[in-house]
Amino acid sequence: MKKQSIRLALLALLSFNIAIGQTKINSYTFGALEARWLGPGTMSGRITAIVGVNADSKTLYVGSAGGGVWKSTNAGASFKPVFDKYCMSIGAIAVDQTHPETVFVGTGESNMRNTVSIGDGMYKSTDAGDNWVKVGMDSTEHISKIIIDPKNNNIIYASAPGPLWSNSKHRGLYKSTDGGTTWNKIFYLNDSTGCADVAVDPTDPNIIYATMWEFRRFPYAFNSGGKSSGMYKSMDAGKTWKELKNGLPAKPFGRIALTLAPSAPQNMIAIVESKETGLYISSDGGETWKSQSATMNVVSRPFYFSCVVIDPKDPKRVYRPGFGFSYSDDGGYSFTDASYDGGWVHSDHHALWINPNYTNQMYLGTDGGVYFSLDRGATWMFVYNLPVGQFYHVACDNNTPYRMYGGLQDNGSWVAPSAAPGGVNNSSWQDMYGGDGFWVQPDLTDNNIAYAESQGGNMGRIDLTTFKSLDITPQAGKSEEKLRWNWNTPIVTGQTNKHNLYTAAQYLYKTTDQGRTWQKISGDLTTNDKKKQQQEESGGLSEDNTSAENHCTIFTVAESPLDENLVWAGTDDGNLQVTTDGGKTWTNVAKNYEAAGIPAQTWVSSIEPSRYDRNTVYATFDNHMYGDMNTYLAKSTDLGKTWTRIKSDDFTGFAHKIKEDLVNRNLLFLGGERGLFASIDGGNSWFRMKNHIPDYCMVRDIAIQPQTNDLVIATHGRGIMVINDISPIRALTRDVVDKDVVLFDNKPTPLTNGAYGGGGSPVSGGWYGGNPDDVQPIEYYMKNRPTQDVNVEIYDATGKLVQKIPGSKRKGINKVYWNLRWTPPKTATGGTKMDYGGFVAPMVLPGTYTVKLKVGDKDYTNQLVMVHDSKNKLFSEEDRKAQYIAAMELYHIHEQLADLVDKISTEQKTLKDNMDSVKRPQTRKLMKEYNDKLEELRSTLLATKHKSIFADEKKLREYITEVYGAICGQESKPTNLQLERITVLNDDLKKGQDNYLKLYTNYGEKTDKIVKEDKAKNKNEPRNSN
Amino acid sequence: MKQLKFALLAISITAAGFVNATAQTADEIIQKHITAIGGADNWKKVNSLKMTASSNMQGTEIPFTITILQGKGLKVEISVSGMTGWQIMTDKTGWSYMPFGGQTKPEAIPDETLKQSQDQLDAQGALIDYKAKGTTATYLGKDDVEGTDCFKVKLTYKSGKEETMYFDATNYYHIRSVAKVKAEGKEIEITSNYSDFQKLPEGIVYAMSQEGGMTGQMKIKSVEINKPIPDDFFVYKEDAKK
Repeated sequence: MKKQSIRLALLALLSFNIAIGQTKINSYTFGALEARWLGPGTMSGRITAIVGVNADSKTLYVGSAGGGVWKSTNAGASFKPVFDKYCMSIGAIAVDQTHPETVFVGTGESNMRNTVSIGDGMYKSTDAGDNWVKVGMDSTEHISKIIIDPKNNNIIYASAPGPLWSNSKHRGLYKSTDGGTTWNKIFYLNDSTGCADVAVDPTDPNIIYATMWEFRRFPYAFNSGGKSSGMYKSMDAGKTWKELKNGLPAKPFGRIALTLAPSAPQNMIAIVESKETGLYISSDGGETWKSQSATMNVVSRPFYFSCVVIDPKDPKRVYRPGFGFSYSDDGGYSFTDASYDGGWVHSDHHALWINPNYTNQMYLGTDGGVYFSLDRGATWMFVYNLPVGQFYHVACDNNTPYRMYGGLQDNGSWVAPSAAPGGVNNSSWQDMYGGDGFWVQPDLTDNNIAYAESQGGNMGRIDLTTFKSLDITPQAGKSEEKLRWNWNTPIVTGQTNKHNLYTAAQYLYKTTDQGRTWQKISGDLTTNDKKKQQQEESGGLSEDNTSAENHCTIFTVAESPLDENLVWAGTDDGNLQVTTDGGKTWTNVAKNYEAAGIPAQTWVSSIEPSRYDRNTVYATFDNHMYGDMNTYLAKSTDLGKTWTRIKSDDFTGFAHKIKEDLVNRNLLFLGGERGLFASIDGGNSWFRMKNHIPDYCMVRDIAIQPQTNDLVIATHGRGIMVINDISPIRALTRDVVDKDVVLFDNKPTPLTNGAYGGGGSPVSGGWYGGNPDDVQPIEYYMKNRPTQDVNVEIYDATGKLVQKIPGSKRKGINKVYWNLRWTPPKTATGGTKMDYGGFVAPMVLPGTYTVKLKVGDKDYTNQLVMVHDSKNKLFSEEDRKAQYIAAMELYHIHEQLADLVDKISTEQKTLKDNMDSVKRPQTRKLMKEYNDKLEELRSTLLATKHKSIFADEKKLREYITEVYGAICGQESKPTNLQLERITVLNDDLKKGQDNYLKLYTNYGEKTDKIVKEDKAKNKNEPRNSN
Repeated sequence: MKQLKFALLAISITAAGFVNATAQTADEIIQKHITAIGGADNWKKVNSLKMTASSNMQGTEIPFTITILQGKGLKVEISVSGMTGWQIMTDKTGWSYMPFGGQTKPEAIPDETLKQSQDQLDAQGALIDYKAKGTTATYLGKDDVEGTDCFKVKLTYKSGKEETMYFDATNYYHIRSVAKVKAEGKEIEITSNYSDFQKLPEGIVYAMSQEGGMTGQMKIKSVEINKPIPDDFFVYKEDAKK
């Protein structure tokens, strides 16, 4: 006991020393490196819940399978994420319609497919989604529905199917009687049966219906159905329950979707999964049921399509969002399907919200995003601004700009440039391959070719100019077993030899000629456990064998970046195999990682052979399909003989991807089901990356683009995210972190207007991912957020101030953008139009400049070398100088004109101020004449008449700006006519100056004299006191 | 309104329960903040306030002034290459004239927006005597602003406008606000950051650098307190027609 307290004291002391000695590197140190959300919204992702606010009919909450909750306050014109600090997998949403500021989110989607994610409980907001508090049900993992008692909002029901991958007591129907602050399980059958659906009679909220569902997934099979599944009714608000059977088919049941007509709640509809899945109708509150003939769409895939809705006002109008969208006008006796006149509607529907105030208007959630209808579901329009696509993988090529390739859950394979004129937006993305998309690999030896696949290992070689594809799927050879392709079959390019392309079933295949000929380079690398290969029986009551359960397959393949003969392969059943001779011989090192504490038969989710040491390899392992959500990451430095498990208290969720940096061997990134993490010390310590990335983002894959140093992240629910240029993360050293302020060294900065032009019109609607920075930012580190002001000043080699820029004040790395230009000229003031010449400045010339970072009264300086942009072949350094000289001439013309106009204004002010006190009519006349002449002159120097932006009045100031703006903005030497124009404008300026001088000589000297005399006289005369 | 208050009450209970049992109350945080910025007594002496400031646009300084007469009026004047734009708000009317984009005559500020902007007529800031002003404050726990540990307090003004304030946990300075204006059927969220805290001769501490909204990063050059303001300073001639 004593020993322990001493130890604890020592530990505390030690940690105290660390705390005072070292500034912690954490999420915020690099917070300024904010990810760009590239989306796109053109293909979206699976939507699991949509709820609107009845009172205003335009506030919507949309829950997604992997992208959190998005809120619109304008009926879908725009959305913003409101749940980014919490679990990204959303099962259900409920709005308290009597107090719509109260919103519940049940995390953990309940569409129990192979890739469904995991929730961590129920959340509540009382301020319409601004702030959330977790209120319980933490271990239920999946919540399918939340219903608030319409007559008493303290009473809330939540159905929890519960864990998918393990037996658990955390399932069943839950109830809160205190407004959602605490929750109790009120209906529970057993640890394999949860509550799939719940309904409350709005006219008598003591009547509750619940459907119980026995189900379970294994890595290699799914079972929906069992003797415990059933439909139940309570007449006493959940205290006691009776099973409803009358008219329902013979048990066992699978999943039952159930709904009642809000306007006539005795009328109910249920889709009951059984040996003969069917649609059942009740008109007596579920006491008796009648089977109805139903369309294929109504009864298909009941474990996945669990949504059936009756119109809020019309009990006969029934909607069945399923594989497609069906609706009935006769209470469910017959159904018809939606038309595609408004465009194709993505299949696989899970959510529907009908505006109760105008029931023609409804929102539909599908596997490919949200649609809305204004004609009761007959036709649909797509909502293009929800970037919740579920990527599995991402890869980049070496183009400028580089292209990003990736495949998505139920949304095919896509490619987009990382930058584009006007910024990357929905239209930048191109659909290149169908089905569910997974791996896409650009051929790094042939810029027009990429490889992509759909589920079940169907893969093609795609011509990127036409998007035509050729099938290159390897086929089983003579006396070979049926090929077992993972749902997410690896297609991987060699890291040492870019001509090598690998794919794998239970065998590993390699091609060096773009898939024209394949070589099988391994035997069966899996455990080949036949018990795990019964997929044809998978599904339970409804056969469901879509290749999602294929097992005993190779899941991940990696060629060493140092040796093309060193290849690793990891399987979904726990084998980790390595060859050092290009596949002639293989060694299974599974037992070795087990020795490091990673469970046997764990899915090997990624392998990362080091680029710094041939014998070093990292791997991630995913055991969630056995109910184990731990983060497994391990490293071996002896080709897999021994492994060290890398742990961190910061880790959350099972691991998908480990990525070693291309430059800094100590920099590692880990992507998992619940967050992105980084280590800058080789894995000793980790921090969550929150760089404008949701805290628990599902990160499936990570790529680093070698030319731009961009970190490209494939998220399973938030599309592609890119952190531009991670150099500051690479460069941060311990001694920097402990200093108060460090102004970093700058790389020579090319002088450029940016890579793109364009019309400049903002994108209307859709999703906009923007572009990387046009110019290289000035970067500095601050240990703490300062309470004083921060500014950045740029000086030229002579010490002249070029520009002063407000600084940013983040704790950690800061980025400040200098537009590479001088401070704009002082331009003539006044007139009736705003002239933009005063906001335009010439770009500086190449040379050495000084950056001065001013933090309060402390200065930090560093050099900044500006270089001509050698990439711009159409613009030589000589051209740049000529442009600079011309721009500067106009800059000075502007300033001289400003002086001239100031003089005129001063004279006019003097005249105006003294006019009243001058008594002699002749003098007054002279003064007025002078003022008029000055005004006449002014009207030749700047626009003075037309106020409207639509009236194009141009005078000298505007003419100067016209050519000044053009020359400053172009990346070319001035044209002959631009140069001639400068002479013309200079002459006009001289003319104006001369005219002013003449006026001053003719009038000004006289009036000035009179004014002076007058003043003197007034001063001497005694004041007239009446 | 009653519903809103109920909701806020609920959040204050749940938030306090979940965030930290020993957490400070919103009022304690606000009082510590007021002490940090010079104390309520000094602030209560502020009847009018004139700020001379500028913001930086592509290297060009845009000068402007903001004048506030406690509870009576607010006037912002912006000068761009000799043209002056302005915005006037009183407790009854509001006008805006921004000729830079071609606007040729002043335009009225819609009533609902005006109502939701009333807190801006407060030269002493929203937190001095906030309860008497009909503002409710709710502590939402600790949060961070770009890595700086903060206390997060949500204010709901009498107008219904909501503003979430972040106070630096080390010095109680108010470093960020996220205001939500719901008016004319729209919901607009404006984030403002505050820094460069300086003590003025009057004993109050003012954030001389403010960022957000339409002004970009605004540097305040001077703050004149209780300088006489003419009676008609906030009057626009069209008001008579209203």
